[in-house]
Amino acid sequence: MKLTHISRRRFVQIAGTAAAQFPLQGADAPTAQALIQRVQSALGGEWQADGLDGFKAGDPNTPVKGIATTAMATMDVLKQASKAGANLIVTHEPTFFGRQDGPAPPPQGAPAFFRALSADDPVYLAKKEFIEKNGLVVFRLHDNWLSSKQSDMTAALAEALGWGKRRVNPNDALYEIPAATAAETVALIREKLNLRGGLRAVGDRTAVVRRVLLFPGFLTPAVMWKRYTEADMTITGEVREWENTFYAADMFTAGEKRNLVTLGRIASEDPGMRSCAEWMKSVAGDIPVRWIPAGDLYWRAV
Amino acid sequence: MTGREVVELIKQNIGVPWREQSYRDTFKFGDPDAPVKGIATTVMVTFGMLKRANEAGLNMVIAHEDTYWNDRDETKDLLENPLYKKKIEYMRDNGMIVWRNHDHMHAMTPDYTVVGSLRSVGIKGGENATMRPGVLPIPETTLGEFASQVKRLTGSRAFRCVGDPKAKVSKVLLGPGYATPRMSVETDVVIGGEQQEADGGFDNVEYVADAASLEMPKGLIMLGHVISEQPGMEDLGKWMRTFIKGIPIQYVPADEPFWT
Repeated sequence: MKLTHISRRRFVQIAGTAAAQFPLQGADAPTAQALIQRVQSALGGEWQADGLDGFKAGDPNTPVKGIATTAMATMDVLKQASKAGANLIVTHEPTFFGRQDGPAPPPQGAPAFFRALSADDPVYLAKKEFIEKNGLVVFRLHDNWLSSKQSDMTAALAEALGWGKRRVNPNDALYEIPAATAAETVALIREKLNLRGGLRAVGDRTAVVRRVLLFPGFLTPAVMWKRYTEADMTITGEVREWENTFYAADMFTAGEKRNLVTLGRIASEDPGMRSCAEWMKSVAGDIPVRWIPAGDLYWRAV
Repeated sequence: MTGREVVELIKQNIGVPWREQSYRDTFKFGDPDAPVKGIATTVMVTFGMLKRANEAGLNMVIAHEDTYWNDRDETKDLLENPLYKKKIEYMRDNGMIVWRNHDHMHAMTPDYTVVGSLRSVGIKGGENATMRPGVLPIPETTLGEFASQVKRLTGSRAFRCVGDPKAKVSKVLLGPGYATPRMSVETDVVIGGEQQEADGGFDNVEYVADAASLEMPKGLIMLGHVISEQPGMEDLGKWMRTFIKGIPIQYVPADEPFWT
């Protein structure tokens, strides 16, 4: 698309901005494909094309009216995005219920118990139909966001918890926070992140918490074993119970006054995608960018 | 009777081919040829459970899950770890023996982990269930009411639910521990122990939340590993008593680890 296809007024609007160096493919708005190319260039570094990232639903040639970032493109997020006029949804986690992010042929000999998503699954079909009918486009931004220097999921989580200025060392997980008991700290976390039933803690609820480690996403045993005793509370998205949950439980039995808090993977990644929205404003030109939290999907029985 | 002889008796009575190659079902601690004073069955070899077993005079633990916080019970990265050292020191000082029964339990008919889990949440018809029990009927109720029943029966403080509590449900698919089954068209409620929340083989959490947004009646109940898989370890103990005589065999549960 040549610049002559853009109105003079529009050209003046965009000239001199970062957007001007990218060809616009519609009269008014870039396509989702073009916008993602901007994201790709602006993130810099090697773009991993063979990983998890890519368009997952909708037509990449759709002109973008608005962008919404989220930790996970749930139906609720898609509905909110559509209502708000955002038609490019940038999601950190899958849209279609697994790493495969869509239907897959059943693996040879796999029991039905563990089979993959089938192409005629009613939830899959209804979600896909909603996306297509409303002209939405969904792009997964995971690997390339995490490996970029613009992303700092840890700082974003700390910011959401009100601990943004309390990082002990740059680029590290350790924070020093105002002293409170573990129970009080958990209550604060719940309130700040607007959690419902997903948070679980292991350890001593009466312990005084001054130092916390933040690991949004998944916490591996290797990191747990190495760092758990550095802090009074380790906060992460999720762990495997037979690994880190019982490591924390055994620590408690051994007399350590510490806690492991799991927020839920999505709840722990939501703030990071808020910071992604903030960053994306710098490449989106005059296209509005908003963050739509996927939120805490769990509740507790009464 | 020694630890090795106890395992030999299990091997003779289990009714399925013995899996010599299993890295899971091996001795994890202690001298297999030391005499056994008593046996504790449990789901997870927690430090707390080890202490309760020892205080009850039971020096052999038969557990469904790992001892050193990883499935293979690899210890090479733990040799200098203070918690690891404390745990093995406690077991050594008290002459304890740990053997894991995981793969063989799931190969058995019935699979007691499934039998116990179904019973513990009040689902009937699972007395002879195998590892993959299929969809079972429950009297029609709402997801919220069913979750309340699960809470009442299990005493769990911390299990998590997804879906619309008002959804009408009557068909349940259960898999304990990490064998949380995927939601299917024929199923209203999936009950599992634990599962990766997102970006896994099949993300039940997102699927069920989306089904709820689309007004399709689906529910997910994640009990936690211990609450879901532990009840069957009592059944395993009962079964072992039918062929191991003269040694006390007790169910020593691991505690639900969570506060909320």
